[in-house]
Amino acid sequence: MNETYRPVHAAAGEEQISVSLKEVSFGYDPEHPILQDITLAVPQGQWVSIVGPNGCGKSTLVKLLNALLPKSGGEIVICGHKLEEETISDIRQCIGMVFQNPDNQFIGATVEEDILFGLEGLCLPYAEMESRLHVYAAKLGIDHLMSKHPGELSGGQKQRVAIASILAMEPGIVIFDEASSMLDEGSRNELLGILQEMRTEGKYTILMITHDADEILAADRVVALAGGQIIADVTPEELFRDEVLLAECHLQMPYPWRLARELHRRGIDAGVAADEKELIDRIWPFNYNK
Amino acid sequence: MAIQLQQVSYIYADRSLWKQTALHDIDLAVPQGSMVGIAGATGSGKSTLLQLFNGILKPTGGSVRVLDVTIKAGEKSPKLLPLRRRVGLVFQFPEQQMFEETVEKDLCFGPLNFGLSLEEAKERAHRALLDMGLDPALLARNPFKLSGGQMRKAAIASVLAMDPDILVLDEPTATLDPLSRAELITLLERLCREQGRTVIIVTHRMDELLPYADSWVVLEKGRKAFQGSAQELARDPFILEQCGLTVPQSLRYWRAVADRFGLDNEAPCLTAESLAERIASLCAQPEEDGRGERDGYE
Amino acid sequence: MVMNEKLLLGRSIETGSWVHRLDARAKLTGMIVYVAIILLSRSWLALALLAVFSLTVMASTRIPLKYFIKAAKPLRYLMLFIFIVQMLSVKEGAVWFSAGSFSLHEEGLRLGAFSVIRMVFLITFTALLTFTTTPGKLNQGLEGILSPFRRLGLSPDRITLMISIALRFIPTILDEAQIIMKAQASRGADLQELSLKEKAKMLVSLLVPVISSAFRRAQDLVYSMEARGFRMDARRSRYHRPKWGGADTAFIAMFVVLGIAIVIL
Repeated sequence: MNETYRPVHAAAGEEQISVSLKEVSFGYDPEHPILQDITLAVPQGQWVSIVGPNGCGKSTLVKLLNALLPKSGGEIVICGHKLEEETISDIRQCIGMVFQNPDNQFIGATVEEDILFGLEGLCLPYAEMESRLHVYAAKLGIDHLMSKHPGELSGGQKQRVAIASILAMEPGIVIFDEASSMLDEGSRNELLGILQEMRTEGKYTILMITHDADEILAADRVVALAGGQIIADVTPEELFRDEVLLAECHLQMPYPWRLARELHRRGIDAGVAADEKELIDRIWPFNYNK
Repeated sequence: MAIQLQQVSYIYADRSLWKQTALHDIDLAVPQGSMVGIAGATGSGKSTLLQLFNGILKPTGGSVRVLDVTIKAGEKSPKLLPLRRRVGLVFQFPEQQMFEETVEKDLCFGPLNFGLSLEEAKERAHRALLDMGLDPALLARNPFKLSGGQMRKAAIASVLAMDPDILVLDEPTATLDPLSRAELITLLERLCREQGRTVIIVTHRMDELLPYADSWVVLEKGRKAFQGSAQELARDPFILEQCGLTVPQSLRYWRAVADRFGLDNEAPCLTAESLAERIASLCAQPEEDGRGERDGYE
Repeated sequence: MVMNEKLLLGRSIETGSWVHRLDARAKLTGMIVYVAIILLSRSWLALALLAVFSLTVMASTRIPLKYFIKAAKPLRYLMLFIFIVQMLSVKEGAVWFSAGSFSLHEEGLRLGAFSVIRMVFLITFTALLTFTTTPGKLNQGLEGILSPFRRLGLSPDRITLMISIALRFIPTILDEAQIIMKAQASRGADLQELSLKEKAKMLVSLLVPVISSAFRRAQDLVYSMEARGFRMDARRSRYHRPKWGGADTAFIAMFVVLGIAIVIL
């Protein structure tokens, strides 16, 4: 198969660890923990997809990282800060979160106010706010919408505003909690483009909860959760090759992968094509040779 | 025809400052017992169109004929309650419209409103739950304690319990995980194929509905840009791009294969399985002996 | 979506006029003085003066008059009601019309007309405030006006945060209520075709989903505010710093002069 393998666990000693969890657990009732014994380290700059069936605790897990929910046990270290009562506000500065529902995370009455909400909380001086406001609005392509009310924006535009608001606070870690699941196809592709740009910049560690095959494929690494525990820590390619794991995570292969599998079952080893043209180039010889 | 729209327009009465999508000159025919997909970019008027189907919205121009009821613009409409029973309309995130403390009570709400006895309503609730692939043991449960996928199915069952001839759903699979999505589409297809109901689904994930839909309607900015069979859509899928939509992968791959091998006149293969099967048979064709076709590769 | 129009009050309309550029605190203070003036206006002459003044200010905002009328329209029945009550209850002055025990007096008609005219002024002029000021600036102005009360244990930040979130989410929740109404109507619960007892049941079918959805939204909002580092009563910097200028002082002075003129008259 023609996947490009990106080294994930390379040079562990030299890397800076952005997110580190040791035996972390969470639950309201000790008898029925929602998460248990989660140990995970994410180096700076890595893009991790977190997958698993609905209700497996993915969303809970990321909310523990910045203490939106209180962990019941274990140790969490974010960018060198150990998570404790006193460090919560430092840690929240390190982590930006984009949630699922575009409407419910729009805090301001206008786009400009929404971006400013976080900046004012950081007590930034005027000039700094002014410059970040323009830099990040331009970066997300929403500078023409600054005075708009959320009711006048599409879901995709609202998610862009949320991302601009969060990136303007310049966090090192950005978490996307099913941020594309309420968007239409076009907006989903745009969001993926934004993430790929963020990766290119290299400044961000990205954690992304998702069910979307294209989003999973774009990541460096996949952490799979089920029943409150990590059941796999693999590359996207390894995930999509493992049909048992896919079923456990309630996921489906991307279309080109499914097609490659079905062709393989029928004796045609064309591999995973990048697009339909490549597929034709690859299956043509089979036809021709006959 | 289950639904027939003639020159239908819908213009919102108030000149509000907010974005709203009106509909213009829509002609549409949905045959009884068919499965129809409706696609369109955000703000193309999909949701407005659906609400015309059971008289929640009345056309401001043209006429809407659903089953044996005709709603004409400018005329006093007939009593709509009987129509609403026969056209089940499932809004987005229907689980958010549940309100009773048990699944059974919620499922009985519709049938009771339409004048059925409690006995009959319970019977309907039971059947609807089975049709949505859920365990009848859930009837006694609190709907808010179910998992996301179960809740969605139970909410659809609460409309199905009215035993409608036509089932209309707005983004029924939104935010579900891929496995639950595939499951739900299969269940909806069964309602159409096995029970003869007309099923109309608005979706922005055309991929998952493509193998099952008999025909498609594509809207663009409140106008109908396309209506035709899946085969017609497969012949020229790039109309979707003109409407601000992405061409689904299954269509793109089929198009490429069909172009290369000249398969335009046959039914499109829109699943990975069927396309692989077709490709395999193409690769095998030149050989006289059909049995030994695979040996070359294994 | 229909609901949004009724919430025209609370939407700013940008024309860039001098009133738009004023400090929100000046506009709020002016408004308070204006309300006092309305209460003090007790003669036709005073009302005429008030009308000339109000129309001049409204015209200078360059916002079409129809928007002001639209803002007052939802309250037309209330105004009619007040007019009728005043008209019927005041039994002074010359009798204009009588039939049996029923009579209409000049003073009643005069007071009724007065009340309605004052109410129209009140609403259209308050609309002017929201039309010319974005909700954010208005809120900040309110915070400024309320800041002297901080010593009394009042938290202006909390009050303005509450108001801004309410302004932000009320339209969303009303839209949602409408969808839920349509959804339940699709399940056979149509208000128009139901008996009273069934209407009560229908209300439950609306309220439960609307309330639970409002809670869900509130929870989401709290998460996203906290994730962006928000803490109640923490120090914040301000992007829009209101600047008090000569025009603001002049604006208030205008209202004070009008008030004095009306009292003298």
